Amino acid sequence: MLSARSVGLSGTMAADRVLEIDRVSKRYGDVVALDGMSLEVPSGEVFGFVGRNGAGKTTTMRIVLGVLDADEGEVRFAGTPLTFQARRRIGYMPEERGLYPKMRLAEQLAYLGELHGMRAAAAGAAARTWLERFGLTDRANDDVQSLSMGNQQRVQLAAALVFDPLMLVLDEPFAGLDPVAVDLMSAVLREQADAGLPVIFSSHELELVERICDRIAIVNRGKVVAHGSVAELRMGAAERRFVDAPNAAAGWGEGIPSATLVSRNGSGLLFEIDPGADDQALLQAALATGPVREFHRVEPSLGDIFRTVLQEDAA
Amino acid sequence: MSDKTGGRPIIFLVARREIRMRLRSRVFIGGTIVMTALVVVGIVAASLLAGKTTPVRVGFSGGSQGLVSSFTASAAALDANVTVSDIADVTAGEAQVTAGTLDVLVIGSVTAPTAVVKAAIPSNVESALSLAALAARLADAGLSPSAIASAMGLVPVQLLQPPNPKNTQNVFASLVLGILLWIALGQYGNMVAQGVVEEKATRIMEVMLATVPPTRLLAGKVIGIGLVGLLQLTIVGAAALVAVNVTNVAAIPALGVASILGDILWFLLGFLFYATAYAAVASLVSRQEELQGAVAPISVFQIAGYLLMYAALPNPTGTLATVASLFPPFAPIVMAVRMASSDVPPWQVGLAVAFIVASIAGLTWLAGRMYANAALRIGARVRFMDAFRG
Repeated sequence: MLSARSVGLSGTMAADRVLEIDRVSKRYGDVVALDGMSLEVPSGEVFGFVGRNGAGKTTTMRIVLGVLDADEGEVRFAGTPLTFQARRRIGYMPEERGLYPKMRLAEQLAYLGELHGMRAAAAGAAARTWLERFGLTDRANDDVQSLSMGNQQRVQLAAALVFDPLMLVLDEPFAGLDPVAVDLMSAVLREQADAGLPVIFSSHELELVERICDRIAIVNRGKVVAHGSVAELRMGAAERRFVDAPNAAAGWGEGIPSATLVSRNGSGLLFEIDPGADDQALLQAALATGPVREFHRVEPSLGDIFRTVLQEDAA
Repeated sequence: MSDKTGGRPIIFLVARREIRMRLRSRVFIGGTIVMTALVVVGIVAASLLAGKTTPVRVGFSGGSQGLVSSFTASAAALDANVTVSDIADVTAGEAQVTAGTLDVLVIGSVTAPTAVVKAAIPSNVESALSLAALAARLADAGLSPSAIASAMGLVPVQLLQPPNPKNTQNVFASLVLGILLWIALGQYGNMVAQGVVEEKATRIMEVMLATVPPTRLLAGKVIGIGLVGLLQLTIVGAAALVAVNVTNVAAIPALGVASILGDILWFLLGFLFYATAYAAVASLVSRQEELQGAVAPISVFQIAGYLLMYAALPNPTGTLATVASLFPPFAPIVMAVRMASSDVPPWQVGLAVAFIVASIAGLTWLAGRMYANAALRIGARVRFMDAFRG
């Protein structure tokens, strides 16, 4: 079998395009920003990066892009440490958006395309293609500063895509987007992953992350504390049951063996079953109060998982 | 590490963007028009101040015509610019003097001529005429031509301190060029500073630094803006040369081709010096409003250079002017002015160039380091030592 190892990035098989962040650490003075951050993002996967502010998401992305240097650890793409040349092929959207306000749209995108190594003609053509894709063709010769915020966001995304990147790294790409732009962004991320790119993005909008990500990493205090698909993360989470017992006394629900009350909404109560326990004890306790209208399993949302994981990490 | 993956080098791309954006701006177009107008007006004013050097028209009538050749020789010896003509009729000649088409009418004989003028006669013309008449009288008294020549010899003058061959108009022209150079250095240095802050303020910096190494982004910016400045100065310089030729003040050395090329060299050196310094301090702040405070230490040097220029002009070979013209922050203006207004020994020019080139190399290293460390620190002003240490 022939080896494709020596042909470099452009010849690398899509399946080999894995982004590996390997035990990366970063310190700002006494503050530990990253503490052995490790994760892998295979090609063709939309990867969500969630965590509280200051958890290390932006620092990780900046290190991937080479904007910051890691104190320890390594970032590899397709098995080789990221070089300057490879980094030029990463589509990046920083948390702090930025474009030259007094530069024309088409000119700006073509400029970024050329900076990322495209020839002038190809960069111009790619700029036109993306402007058309985002419905901005008739604004091509307007200055960026004359655009609405929503349109500026579109240009910012186009700026990350214009040079035909090998990977996408997007810091909070959904922040501040209107619902239409959210749909556009989601569609583009999925499309790019389907085209064989590793796509990694951070977000605080957990419902969105749950909906569009293949896999998720939850980071806390500079390292990954849980990762996997949403289904895999759920398997690690406690079982939940919803109980509607309308005749139960006002204080019912507290102190039930093997189940913990999570929330109460009228007569509907949400319980978490203790690990390894049976849910039948909870059902019997509910039936003891009178009729039970509802008793069913509740899938924990990513938000629930997130809070649980962080609590466990703090403990 | 090569820039190229099929496209053009990064420094070229960054510089090209700067040039395109600046050439399109009103500041450049307006600034070029204003500077060109100032220079042309200045040169026209200089040519008027230099005074008309039109020759004095001297007409010789009747018997005095024998004086023409010795008068012309004496006038030349006395630096009097004259034209001579024969006037057939005294009355017609007097009418010409009255009408102003003739300045001096010489009547009478060679040994007893009379000068007829409207109101006054230039003293050197009067002296030349007197010398010519004296020679005629000596010849009349029987002296040989060689005896007359020795008798008429002018007293040689020995100069213990040769005067500045470059005259007052030249000092004025040097001053105007010095001021323009100073304005251009300040303008383009500030343009670099504003460009750096613009990239931080608009947050494009992180997009750029994810693609472009900081030193190349900085180099491209400085080169691009420098070339725009050079273009502007070339336009202004070309307009100056045209104006010089039209107004005939080419005798003013500060407006000669060599001097204007010298000014352009000093602009380039001064620009590289100040632009890198401006870029370094500008990378410490995130907002245009904070920029003035940050660049203040550099402005102090620039203003000091401006004042030293005035101090150097009256005595361009003095100790103060010489020392200031070697010191890199002041050299671009003070040395340029010295070179325009006096003959500076080549070793001093060479030393000044060597000093400033060495300083530019040092500043580039420092600026690259500060810029790389401070460029992404948006928000509060970054302290100098933090940017230096990284």
